[in-house]
Amino acid sequence: MTKEEQLKNINDAIKQTKTNLKPLGYNLVFWGVVIISMSLFHYFFPKIVQYSYYSSTIYWMTIPLLGMIYTTYYNIKSGIKIGYETQLDRVIKIIWGVFGFCWIFIVGISLSQNIIPTKDILFLLAVVLIMSGLIIKFNNITIGGFALLIFTGYTYFNPNLDLLLVNTIGICFGLLIPGLSLYLHKSDNLQ
Amino acid sequence: MNKEIEKLLFNPIRLKTISFLMTVETCTFKKLLEITDSTKGNLSTQLKKLHEFGLIKIEKYFLKSYPTTDYSITKKGKKSFKEFYKQLISYK
Repeated sequence: MTKEEQLKNINDAIKQTKTNLKPLGYNLVFWGVVIISMSLFHYFFPKIVQYSYYSSTIYWMTIPLLGMIYTTYYNIKSGIKIGYETQLDRVIKIIWGVFGFCWIFIVGISLSQNIIPTKDILFLLAVVLIMSGLIIKFNNITIGGFALLIFTGYTYFNPNLDLLLVNTIGICFGLLIPGLSLYLHKSDNLQ
Repeated sequence: MNKEIEKLLFNPIRLKTISFLMTVETCTFKKLLEITDSTKGNLSTQLKKLHEFGLIKIEKYFLKSYPTTDYSITKKGKKSFKEFYKQLISYK
């Protein structure tokens, strides 16, 4: 094998590495649809969701936890299908893993202190979206994150806003639309 | 540079494997088959040699009751590849 052939082999192997961002787009769309549907259902049918003291807590804990189990399964399955994990994939996985852990932490604290965690979760989500968008260099995610951050900041100054509508609007512009644009993006490799 | 390593990476399958593993965290056997365009038996032999020299790490585990193997590059592997590539470029 000549030196040129060796260099060609190296280049050919390296060129085959792509960071597949479709699974991330799918995750964002999935959570966007789930949270918006849950918020709207709660908004239009409050009597069903709040029929007992703990029912709304169970509603807002059980469905997201089931969603977490489903997305974990989906991510493992898509990881096996792709067959490799890049450094970028690992960074994204860690960031969203930490988000999941913090979500459980915030919900736990809010339950013990009897406070509504919506604003804190939206703030955390905005930060994670901004980080993800900057890391993968996908502007729509970064802009969505900043929009959500500004929107969440606005809700702190207007405490009378309906938090279910806040959730719906914030998640729609911060998660669903940017996630959809990432999922439908033609190029799999943004790096 | 270690002559043995140089000789080891002279094989195209081993070179492609190391090059690809340089860019990823972990990789499955199936993907390496695709990257190197080789047969299962041949790839297994070459991976064993890379492992013997401490250039790659092999992790075996069970996923949904199926045995799965992940391959990744070691620190020694990264260092060796960098030296090899540096040397290759200097010849150009």
